[in-house]
Amino acid sequence: MKKVIVPPQRVQPHERVAPVPYMVWAVLFTVVPLLFIAYYALTDNQFHFTFDNITRFFTATSTMEAADGTQKVIHTYLLIFWRSFKLALISTAVCLLMGYPIAYIIARASPKAQSTMITLIMIPMWMNFLIRTYAWMTILQDTGILNGILSALHLGTVKIIGTEGAVVVGMVYDFLPYMILPIYSVMAKMDTRLLEAARDLGCNSLGVLRRVIFPLSLPGVFSGITMVLVPSISTFYISQKLGNGKFYLIGDAIEGQYVANNLHFAAAIAFILMVALLLSMAVFQRLANRRSYGGA
Amino acid sequence: MKKMSKIYTALIFAFLFAPIVILLVFSFNASKSLSVFSGFSFKWYRELLRDGETLISLKNTLILAFSASIISTVMGTAAAVGMHKLRNRYLRAAMDSVTNIPMINPDIITGISLMLMFVFVGSRLGRATSLGFGTMLIAHITFCLPYVILQVLPKLQQMDKSLPEAAMDLGCTPMRAFLRAELPEILPGIITGMIMAFTLSLDDFVISYFTQGNNFQTLPIRIYSMTKKTVTPKMYALATLIFFTILALLLASNFIGDEDTRRLREERQKRRGKAAQPKKRRRELSEKTKRRIVYSALGVAAAGALLFALIPPQPQVLNVYNWGEYISDGSEDSLDTIAAFEDWYQETYGQRIQVNYATFTSNEDMYAKLKSGAVSYDVIIPSDYMIARMREENMLLPLDYGNIPNYENIPDNFRNLYYDENNEYTVPYTYGVVGVIYNANAVDEADAEGWDLLWNKKYAGQILQFNNNRDAFGTAMYKLGIDVNTADKADWDRALAELKDQNPLVKSYVMDEIYNMMESGEAAAAAYYAGDYFTMLDAQADNVDLQFYYPERTNYFVDAMCIPSCCQSKELAEIFINYMLSEEPAVANAEYIYYASPNRLVYENEDYIDEMGEEAMDILYQGQDKFQENYNAYAYRSLDPETLDYVNSLWENLKIN
Repeated sequence: MKKVIVPPQRVQPHERVAPVPYMVWAVLFTVVPLLFIAYYALTDNQFHFTFDNITRFFTATSTMEAADGTQKVIHTYLLIFWRSFKLALISTAVCLLMGYPIAYIIARASPKAQSTMITLIMIPMWMNFLIRTYAWMTILQDTGILNGILSALHLGTVKIIGTEGAVVVGMVYDFLPYMILPIYSVMAKMDTRLLEAARDLGCNSLGVLRRVIFPLSLPGVFSGITMVLVPSISTFYISQKLGNGKFYLIGDAIEGQYVANNLHFAAAIAFILMVALLLSMAVFQRLANRRSYGGA
Repeated sequence: MKKMSKIYTALIFAFLFAPIVILLVFSFNASKSLSVFSGFSFKWYRELLRDGETLISLKNTLILAFSASIISTVMGTAAAVGMHKLRNRYLRAAMDSVTNIPMINPDIITGISLMLMFVFVGSRLGRATSLGFGTMLIAHITFCLPYVILQVLPKLQQMDKSLPEAAMDLGCTPMRAFLRAELPEILPGIITGMIMAFTLSLDDFVISYFTQGNNFQTLPIRIYSMTKKTVTPKMYALATLIFFTILALLLASNFIGDEDTRRLREERQKRRGKAAQPKKRRRELSEKTKRRIVYSALGVAAAGALLFALIPPQPQVLNVYNWGEYISDGSEDSLDTIAAFEDWYQETYGQRIQVNYATFTSNEDMYAKLKSGAVSYDVIIPSDYMIARMREENMLLPLDYGNIPNYENIPDNFRNLYYDENNEYTVPYTYGVVGVIYNANAVDEADAEGWDLLWNKKYAGQILQFNNNRDAFGTAMYKLGIDVNTADKADWDRALAELKDQNPLVKSYVMDEIYNMMESGEAAAAAYYAGDYFTMLDAQADNVDLQFYYPERTNYFVDAMCIPSCCQSKELAEIFINYMLSEEPAVANAEYIYYASPNRLVYENEDYIDEMGEEAMDILYQGQDKFQENYNAYAYRSLDPETLDYVNSLWENLKIN
């Protein structure tokens, strides 16, 4: 990339003062609270330092019946973690597959249609997500709307509520806008002359998509993935309602410990989740940066 | 290709709007069911408008969203302007990372971290209540800020850098240059940021759940706490109204917005054509935009002011904390108990009083909130075993029964129970028994007996179990004949083994979901609290025939009013408790909740007996004379912390299977 040398601009007094309130705020209400999570995670009820909560997370075991009927011992929280990450990754992938084409279609529409469609995507978010998730129960249950339609069309019925599929549907539904919006906003800003140039140089539509549009849209894709993955890892309402209470995820574990008044252990689970997420995000960002600047 | 993309778009929007269509349709349901449509009616809209508590929580939600979005927009925009010009590379990197934290932290972590801090700081400062509107506002601003900043920053980067310079060269002061040249440029980003902040704040549940305090309950929390009783179609009606309001606003703004699109098109053409554009046009645009900001800012400010004006100043406040859907709320021409109390109080004492009514999801949820010391309530209505625990921990105040003369209407059967053996702390509110509900069209009459029905392999995949550990373990322990209050871990292990045996047969672990599933015939058998059977009966589908029976050993419970030690005005609380025992409100509550009442004025009231009908009276008040005996044998008692923790880990063990 060519570097353009710009003479340094003067910084005005108001520009020097402007970020100060936010800096103070961010330290007080973003950074300090995280220290409190660490503090609670590493202390017992009397606020004496201990590693017990952390150890408990990694060593607590449960028995589970294996497929062949034998009992096996598994690590409770590690399994919960693994399941939550798995469901969240599946939901994120589905969101990406569903959201990417629609973001592309919207970005290519007329300005008026663009703004209409974007508002249509935002509207559901103004209605409480608890209520919308509740409505999905009515659709997905065995005697629900979906099966009513299917059997009216003589297509038989499907068993979906209470399965992983139903939880994924709930997550995809709730978080799809968070995938569409960032991808759309990158695509809408894309310079159309680049696409024309690619076509002039002999690319077919698929080639333009693969070699120009996709690489350019990567920043949007990466922020979409972050915005979907993070909330779907920690949700507890969707799994309760659409998973028939049979999916016990990290969110359920944290909330369960909080309600059982084990604040310090709840903090420990939250702390470990936070560290795990920060680490994976750091790796992901590094990858993302290499992709969007190095490649293409 | 064109056609395919149209179909695809239609499919995606169908997916996004499917549940909205559902809630729109069911908001017009004649019955209370959310899964069986039994006729068209405007009933829930009427009831919504009459339901003061729901409207208050709606108002709270809007006040919070308005305040949080305005404050975070101002602070966030200022921050972005500063960050954009920040020379110090390390400081800039630090600020960027901090801004990212709330976005890559799940909301549950943001919520818990803020709660821990508020509670900790509050208790060190010796404050009685550290959570409330203020803390919720802080939390909402905190998670909105990054979204505003990340919308504004790119606009600043895209902006022509020479613009403010030019303005200053032409004699503007730096501030004036910012307002006249820079601000209009970044305005679209600011507005998008503000809309995003508003949307996020409106829809947030998790962070509010952890940082809520007394006297300020928002809509999502109210809905969440409806999980013991059912979510009412009233909430669907509310969502529908919100939907049409937004739609109307959007249509209106589309008329104004036409100007916008014309300009967008112009700009596009311009971008295609010449790169540079005359300065004159730019200034002309900014004038127009500026006028629009002024109008919209005025509109927002007016709406905000109106909302604040709607809260009249109150000299006296009473904070009540109860189960969700556990008080008569004025629906179906019943008495709105809270409003009636406020009126009655003003008539009797000549002073105004405001009752802040908040709801909780479970005994444990309430306990966690009170134990944190971050909230203060004057009256709470927990269940027996939780009362016992709170008494042991000195969390309750003894009542002055001199202020509660109506207590005389509570018969001896409901006095001196184990959780309050000397009648010092409690006044019973409701009581009940857990029974088994089954669909007679799906279950053989011969199988409908005892707890075995819930373990019967014939009905695999049609059985429901409680989604709370105490009640779920209870069913297994009553079945096995184990003492439900044992401290013997081996006994709990046996109960767990029993629940694990049942697990493959269980369709769903439920609380409020039981209503949908039983009413629609989705499930065949479940254990639940006796009174709730009648709510389901009222809404059952045509091909469903719900029946009910009591197993021999089962849970007996009492929910009682008490005053927690954080109470701010004890006498007022006692007046409230006394009022709740008087005939009119007590009957209204009993009819609404459908649980048995321990109040003579209720169960001997002719109208009440008529209204409930013979079957309901039979089932609810069966064995009332032997209540104490059964209660002493089967009620839940407070478990010691070690056992509690153990049961909790067994529950997790069951749930991950």
